[in-house]
Amino acid sequence: MGAPFDIGYVFSFLPKLLDTLGVTLLIVAGSLLTGIVAGFLVALPRMYKIPVLRTLSGVYLSFFRGTPILIQLFLFYYGLPEILKPVGLDLTRAPVMFFVILTYGLHTGAYAAEMIRASVEAVDRGQVEAAYAAGMTPYQAFSRIVLPQALGIAVPVFSNLVIALLKDTSLAFTLGVMEMTGKAQTLGTLTQHFIETYIALAFIYLIISFTLEKMLLAAERRLTRHENREEKRESIFRLKKRGSYRTVLADIHAGKGGGA
Amino acid sequence: MQLDPSFIWTAFWQLLGAIPTTLSITAVSVLAGFVIGAVTAMLRMYRAPVLAQIASAYVTFIRGTPMLTHLLIIYFGLPMIIDGLAEHFGWSFRSVSIPMIGFAYISFSITAGAYMSEVVRAGILAVDRGQVEAAQSVGMTTFQSLRRIVFPQALAAALPNLANSVIGMLHGSTLAFAVSVVDINAKAQIVASTNWKFFEAYLAAALIFWGLTVLIERVAALIEKRVGAYNRGGVA
Amino acid sequence: MIALSNISKSFGRNQVLQDISLNVNRGEVVVILGPSGSGKTTLLRCVNYLEKPGSGQIAVGDFHVDCSRARRGDILQLRRKTAMVFQQYNLFRHKTALENVMEALLVVKKLPAAEARKRSIALLEKVGLGAKLNEYPSRLSGGQQQRVGIARALALEPEVILFDEPTSALDPELVGEVLEVIRAIAREGITMIVVTHEMGFARDVANRVVFMDGGVIVEEGTPDEVFQHPKEERTKQFLRRITPEANYSI
Repeated sequence: MGAPFDIGYVFSFLPKLLDTLGVTLLIVAGSLLTGIVAGFLVALPRMYKIPVLRTLSGVYLSFFRGTPILIQLFLFYYGLPEILKPVGLDLTRAPVMFFVILTYGLHTGAYAAEMIRASVEAVDRGQVEAAYAAGMTPYQAFSRIVLPQALGIAVPVFSNLVIALLKDTSLAFTLGVMEMTGKAQTLGTLTQHFIETYIALAFIYLIISFTLEKMLLAAERRLTRHENREEKRESIFRLKKRGSYRTVLADIHAGKGGGA
Repeated sequence: MQLDPSFIWTAFWQLLGAIPTTLSITAVSVLAGFVIGAVTAMLRMYRAPVLAQIASAYVTFIRGTPMLTHLLIIYFGLPMIIDGLAEHFGWSFRSVSIPMIGFAYISFSITAGAYMSEVVRAGILAVDRGQVEAAQSVGMTTFQSLRRIVFPQALAAALPNLANSVIGMLHGSTLAFAVSVVDINAKAQIVASTNWKFFEAYLAAALIFWGLTVLIERVAALIEKRVGAYNRGGVA
Repeated sequence: MIALSNISKSFGRNQVLQDISLNVNRGEVVVILGPSGSGKTTLLRCVNYLEKPGSGQIAVGDFHVDCSRARRGDILQLRRKTAMVFQQYNLFRHKTALENVMEALLVVKKLPAAEARKRSIALLEKVGLGAKLNEYPSRLSGGQQQRVGIARALALEPEVILFDEPTSALDPELVGEVLEVIRAIAREGITMIVVTHEMGFARDVANRVVFMDGGVIVEEGTPDEVFQHPKEERTKQFLRRITPEANYSI
C-alpha cells in the first residue's frame, strides 16, 4: 500500500520526528515526577501498615496495574471532568497534556509504589537495628541509612519503569497529543510512505531507550560503589557478560510483561 | 452531561461480545510468544553461532520500541514483503486476504516472544547448577536432565513472571483497535460515541479488564501453589 | 548501675523471658551463657529496646523506664546510653569504616565534623584498623568488620556496651583478633554485657557469669563459681555438653 519503498525517506523523516521528541520526553518527565510522588504516597501506608489507607493503596495498585493504559487514558480524559463537575471543578478547558501526564503519572505511580516498597524492604534489617542501637531516630535511620541503600537497589527496576513509560507514551496521540508516534502517522499519511516513517520512529525509540538504559546503569554503578562487584552468577549455561541474575529479574519484576 | 450509572451496566453487556476477540488475541500472542521466546532463550544461552546474535538483536529491538510501533511496522511492512515475494514467486496469495486480526496475531506474538525470552531465561537461571550436576551424576543424559529436573523447576520459578506477561499481553491487546479489530477497547469506543456516554463505556471496559486481570492473578497463584509446593523458600 | 527488674517477654504463646532480674555494676563484665532458646539474646536486646519487654523495668545509669509504659522518647534515651555490637556486624554498608564510626557522633551526639573525625580515627587505630579507614565493609574481612563495629560502639561512650554473640559469625581464625580487642576494652573498665559461646573468654574476662535456660536465670556467680563449682543440675548438664575436653570434633 502507499508509495513504493524508498529508504531515503527513512533518513529524511528522522529530523521531522525529532521535532516531537521534546513532547515525548516532556510526557515522560512529567509522568515520572508525578508517579514517584504518587508512588511514595501509596507505598507508605503499606510499608507502615496504616489501617484504612493501606487498603485504599491496595485498591489503587490493583486498578492501575489491572487495567490497560489505553483505557485509563480514555477514562480519565472523558471521565474526570464529569466526575469533578458536581464538586465544582471545571476541567473542560484543561489542556490535554494535563490529562495525559496525570494518567501516565498515576499509572507509573502504581509500579513505582511496588518498586519503592520492595527496595526499602530489601535493605537488610540489621542496618536499621544498628542505626536504632546507636540512638538514631526513625527519620534519621531512614534517610541516612535505608534510603541511600534502597536507591541503589531500586535502579534496575527504575530503569525498566522509565523505558516502559517511554514506550507507553506512544499511545498519547489517541488523545490528540502530537508526540512522536502521532507525528509519524501524520507524516505517513501525508507522504504515503508509511513503512519508512515507522522504521525511522522505531530507530529513534531504540536510541532513546538505549541511552536511558546506559545512563541509569552508570547511576547504579555510582550508587552501589560500596558493594563488591558481583561475579557472574553460576548458571547451568554460560551467559553473556551483560545480564546478571539481578538485572534479568528486575527486567521482569517491573511488572510490564509486554505491551501497553 | 450527567453521569448515568445505569449505563455502565448496559455498556457492560454490549462489551461482552468483544471479550472473545480480546481473549483470542491474548491467547495466541502468549502461546506463540512462548514458543518464540523459548527458542530465542535457548539460542542465546547455548550461543548458537549466528543465530544467537540475531536472537539478541531481536530481543533488544522489541524491548526498546513500543508495541504499537511493532504493530504499525508489521501492518505496513508485511504486505509489502508478502506481495513482493508473491510477485516474484508467482503465488496467488495476496496480503489483502489476510484478515486484520491476523496482523494483530502476528505482531503481538513477535512482541511477546521477546519478553517471554527473558522470562524463560530467568526461569532457567533460577535453577541451581547443582541440580544438573546431581542429575548427571546419577547418569541422566542432557536431555533427560533438562526435561525432568530443570524444566519443572524453571517453570515453577517462572510462573509469577509468566503471569505478568500474560497480563501484559492482555492489556496490550487493546492496541488492536489501530488495525480495526473490534476488541473490548474498540467496542467501548463505538459504544461511547454512539451513545455519547464516554465515561460509562470506558469504565465498563476498565472493569472488565480489571476483572480478567484479577482472575489471571488468582489462577496463577493457585497453579504456583501446586507446582511450586516444594519450594517454600520465598514468602510462604 | 544497669538494673533489669522483672523483665518478661512472650512471642505469641511462647514466654521467652520469665520475670528476669539482673544487676550490672559500673565497670563489670557480665557474660550470659545458655543453650539456644534460653532467651539470652532476647534479654540483651531488651536492654536497648530492640525487643520490647512485655513488662518490667529497665534502669541505665540514672535513667529509668517502665516497660509497660515506655514512650518513644524514653526508648531513644535508652538507646543513647547504650551501644551494641551485633553478631552480623551490621556495619552501614554504604559508608566507609571511618564514616561508620563517625555516623552516630555526627547525627546523634551532634559533634562537629572535625572532632568526630579525630575521635573516630583514634578509635579505629585502637582496634588495629588505622590502615583501613576508607574501605567499605564489603572489602573487609569478618574480623575487621566486627572490630569496626566495636569502634563504632566505643565512639558513643555509652554507659554499657552490649555484645550479641560477637564472634559467632566469624571464621575460627578471625575469632582471636576480635576477642583480643574485647579483652582490651574490658581491661579499661568499660561496663559490658556479653552473650557468647566462647567459654575461654568468659573464664578469663568476666567478672560475673550468668547462666540462663528456658527463660530464667538458673545460676550466676564468678567464673570460678559457675565453671568449677556449679550448683544447679541444669548448669552442670550444659557445662558437660560444651566443655572442650568432652569433644573430639571441632
